[in-house]
Amino acid sequence: MKQMHAILAALRGLLRQTGATLGLGFLGLIVLIAVFADLLPLDPLGQDFLRTLEGPSRDYWFGTDELGRDILSRVVFGARTSLVTAAGAVTIAALIGVPMGLIGGFFGGWRDAVLMRLVDVMMALPAILFAMALIAVFGRSQGAALLAVGITGIPGFARIVRAQVLTLRKRDFVVAVEAFGGTASYNMFRTILPNSWSQILVQVVVLSSVAILLEAALAFLGVGVPPPTPSWGEMLRTGKSYLHEAPYYAVLPGIVLTLTILAFDSIGRGLSRLIENPRDAALQGSLK
Amino acid sequence: MTQHDFRPSRRTVLAGIGATALGAGTITFPGAGMAQDLKGGTLRVGLPNDMTNYDPMQFSTVNFFMIKNLYDALIEYDENGNPVPGLATEWTIADDNTSVTVKLRDDVTFHSGNAFDSAAVVATLEKAADPEKGKNVYSTMSIVKDWSADDAHTVTINFNDPVPDRQILDLLQFLLPLDPEGIADVETVPAGTGPFLLADRKVGQSVTLKRNPDYWRPDQPILDEIVFTVFSDNAAATSALESGSVDLVYGGGSRAAVRLRDAGYQVLQGPGKLVQVFRINSTKGPFRNKAFRQAFNHLMNRPAILKVGYAGLGEATALPWAPASPASDPSFNDTYAFDVDKAKALLDQSGLSDAEMSDWALLVNGSDEASVAISQVVQSSLREVGIEIELDVRQGAEFIDALLSGDFAAVFGGVGNVQKFPSRVATNSIYRTVKNPVFGDPHPHPAYVEAIKRVDNSFGEDVQPAYDNLNEVLVDEAFAIPTNTYETGLIVASDKLGGFTLDIDNLLVGRTIGFK
Repeated sequence: MKQMHAILAALRGLLRQTGATLGLGFLGLIVLIAVFADLLPLDPLGQDFLRTLEGPSRDYWFGTDELGRDILSRVVFGARTSLVTAAGAVTIAALIGVPMGLIGGFFGGWRDAVLMRLVDVMMALPAILFAMALIAVFGRSQGAALLAVGITGIPGFARIVRAQVLTLRKRDFVVAVEAFGGTASYNMFRTILPNSWSQILVQVVVLSSVAILLEAALAFLGVGVPPPTPSWGEMLRTGKSYLHEAPYYAVLPGIVLTLTILAFDSIGRGLSRLIENPRDAALQGSLK
Repeated sequence: MTQHDFRPSRRTVLAGIGATALGAGTITFPGAGMAQDLKGGTLRVGLPNDMTNYDPMQFSTVNFFMIKNLYDALIEYDENGNPVPGLATEWTIADDNTSVTVKLRDDVTFHSGNAFDSAAVVATLEKAADPEKGKNVYSTMSIVKDWSADDAHTVTINFNDPVPDRQILDLLQFLLPLDPEGIADVETVPAGTGPFLLADRKVGQSVTLKRNPDYWRPDQPILDEIVFTVFSDNAAATSALESGSVDLVYGGGSRAAVRLRDAGYQVLQGPGKLVQVFRINSTKGPFRNKAFRQAFNHLMNRPAILKVGYAGLGEATALPWAPASPASDPSFNDTYAFDVDKAKALLDQSGLSDAEMSDWALLVNGSDEASVAISQVVQSSLREVGIEIELDVRQGAEFIDALLSGDFAAVFGGVGNVQKFPSRVATNSIYRTVKNPVFGDPHPHPAYVEAIKRVDNSFGEDVQPAYDNLNEVLVDEAFAIPTNTYETGLIVASDKLGGFTLDIDNLLVGRTIGFK
């Protein structure tokens, strides 16, 4: 319940910021489209060989690709690929990274040293290279892309949560719980974690945008989700090859990808602003 | 059945062509008649890839721009597949087809200044017959028993068994004599008699050739110099052509060529096409079932594949032959056209369940855009008949390993050597009759192996029936389903150039090119 209040309070705070409001609106639209894409009169896989690489028309608002498929349909269904990858990656990263940060920060000592050196090693590897190596091992699929992006996001969560734990660890309310016999796990997950949601939420937003970008980058490099599954990055990759014949090809996926990243970024910055300067009374005590 | 222009009438005609044409010094290569109208100068050529080395036996497509400019062949084919003299003035095939005697020109020198003679041909044959050094020519030498230099300008090549005329001509056409003194270093230093000399090379950047002042063909080469510039990709090369930075792009892609053709550039398609083939591993999964495989003859939407993968540049074909091949038979294209109903009938006949028919993945070369696109066309066609498959997209070495080791159920892959003697198709891995990397030994399609043997051992009136039989066997066994021819060594040139010679292998022939 407390988390829900925090989220609602954050939402209200965000809606008072123009950039974040626009971001939320656009992201909401993308999510709605992705969820209800099956209900729309769109076919991302239907091929029409008589109308390949056609420009925008009444039948195909954003033209057709090299197989005569509707670019608009593929962008709409491509949203699913991006959002599912982002959601999956964030879930994996959070499920592993948050406990790592909690344990390392709470216990300190050798546990902290081991976990943080592990995080250091993961951070030393370039994300795209690490993701490509994982895909080389597990094969090219949405699951592999999701796992690869998720693993690269673990260090972010671990670092941020650890820093938050170190800040909260000696606060009175934590010490008090310990004094009353609260166990370490109770303190970590019931006392400290709820007071770290705001930072975790910011990281969720930041990693979502990174995940979408990384998924698109992997697809652009030819190791993303396999065809014919629509993917914005794959469309950009293929569209690049048809720049002369069909310059419009990559326009829509490019714009949508950019706006989606921008939307996440705006929301993330809005949240950061709220945390740093919670002037809104509604946020007092919930985000700090 | 189709009729072919090429009908080698051996012994007299072949020798006559050489003596007459060369004696007068008027070889009628396409474009050569325009030689007087063309001017020399520096030709700037854009390439999408750099070469590997100067050995003409390294017959890789990336070397195609260089081979015919630094070397000459014993004989050549014109664009219709008719033999014309090269360094050999005449060639006489023995009545029993067990040997060929080749007369060599006596006025030719290598770039080193050494004289070209029978010793050079013998040295070249020795290299070609060496499994380590013969490279791409080695397999062609399998028919050769031994050879001898009869005199300074006559060589006789003996064969293990009687060999059809066309196969003998293919061998002569494939032999590009090397300077015996330069053979050891031929990978790094050219050792030919060709119309151009190597002037400079910057690895990965450029190759510069200059006119050979002692070249033996009269009035050739026309150009003073050719500068080949290696671009990072095809788009960069075509942009350079459009900006006027280069005069010609060689070896670029079909799509860009079609676009530039529409913009007024010259696009020259040679006879040395490749054929795209849907390769089937008939030892795996549902593909062990013959009727299931045969259904794929009708599941290939060839016009769509040609359009999507190659911008329509090429021809749909149900057989693995380029139009210049003596075995080419366009009637098969109608018989085995895309037909979902016929495919469904064969699938029903196979007796396989829906789950069994979908229990495989199509291996895709992720580095090749055309393969990715045409694989999706097939995936869509299969969906029409209720077969749902995944694409197994792999990149680079991972794909090549799977392709060459037969670790796939089905995959698209181009085949070459399809414009010459039909049994040369067996140089491609999927069509090998022995040591086939996909099927292993013994070959699971003995009818095909027998058909190839029959082609190799047919003479006179038996030749065409042997070709027809091979074609019938290929569609019946259906372990490889051809879809279309496509271009290699494509030339896209500014309209200020002329005098192009279309080589049977689509090598770049610079000696007849000039500025209008």
